[in-house]
Amino acid sequence: MNVVKTRKVLVVEDSRLIHKMYEVMLRPCMLIAAHDGREGLARLRENPDVDVIILDINMPHMTGLEFLGQVKANSEFATIPVIIVSTEGKEEDVARGLKAGALAYLKKPFQREDLLKIIGRLTSKQPSP
Amino acid sequence: MKDGDAMAEDPRTCSRTAEDNGDPLVTLMRARQLIHDAQSAIEEVSKSVVQQRSASAEIPERQLRLAKAETEREELATRLSEVEHQVGRLMTLYVATYQLHATLDPADVQSTIVDIAVNLLGAEQFALFLRDEDANTLEIRLQEGPIDAPWSGAKTYAGGDLLIDASLLDGMLRFGPTENSPVLVSVPLRVQDVTVGALVITKLLEHKSKLDEEDRELLDLLGAHAASALFASRVYSRAARKLRTLEGLIKLVRKS
Repeated sequence: MNVVKTRKVLVVEDSRLIHKMYEVMLRPCMLIAAHDGREGLARLRENPDVDVIILDINMPHMTGLEFLGQVKANSEFATIPVIIVSTEGKEEDVARGLKAGALAYLKKPFQREDLLKIIGRLTSKQPSP
Repeated sequence: MKDGDAMAEDPRTCSRTAEDNGDPLVTLMRARQLIHDAQSAIEEVSKSVVQQRSASAEIPERQLRLAKAETEREELATRLSEVEHQVGRLMTLYVATYQLHATLDPADVQSTIVDIAVNLLGAEQFALFLRDEDANTLEIRLQEGPIDAPWSGAKTYAGGDLLIDASLLDGMLRFGPTENSPVLVSVPLRVQDVTVGALVITKLLEHKSKLDEEDRELLDLLGAHAASALFASRVYSRAARKLRTLEGLIKLVRKS
């Protein structure tokens, strides 16, 4: 699948295992790693041209939802599509994430194909870099 | 309709009729020519009819070929999707193995086991038992979530859960729950045919209904690799601690 080719993806996730997983699964992409929301915002300021953000919810210092709130409040970043990938899988968790501005919600454990499909769908709406 | 009428309707025939009027030989020659032309036209029409007939005969065959190609395309799409899925599974197994062996710090290995249990298996409540060789007990190294079991919250596991005990005894994966055990799965951690501990899962995340065949592969991998990674990291940390002690002693000796 080359739907994710050349995309620049910001991964905000506290698990090293999952960072490695994205590194392997999204090989053609350029990944920017952040381990909590605060670091995520710093990486985003350095790379405002990211095509998509993959976001965990439960993280130290600043949670995924807090990070998402700040991203949506900033006009420079507000249009970047955000995918929440989390173990929080209750209906209310999904609703909360989507209401906060995420365009997709994927529950862990997830399948690679599902993630690629979502990234492909969200980034195909934008012009290729 | 008479022949003469038909010929009179043809402008070309009319002009010849006018030129050759009265010469029967010329009329005969023209008649022959007309017959020859008519024969050629009939032959052409016949050929075209034959071609059309053979083309129509090929239609069902072409339709069959098209249907076959469509079936093959669908099969290939299914196979591609299966291969993509397999690749995803292999990636998961690779990453789990890689991350388990990426460190020699026992705490990091333990944290990776937790990560695998939560993020890759979808476990919500689980515990990690490790054999303490010095005390000859099974230490409960970590417990995630409020597990409803007699051993929950204790420092060591003294036995009593039939499913866990069986898996520790024979080193085989055991799936529950059973009448006597709330455990969903007990994964014996083995190094060189010796069981050094177990990962015991008692509850999955709400959106994960059950452990499937693919999870079993990951559980098997955990059984082998988590144990060896933990074993290696513990041996390394012990050796590093001894080395530091020796270096400290050497420094003291040199000072004195």
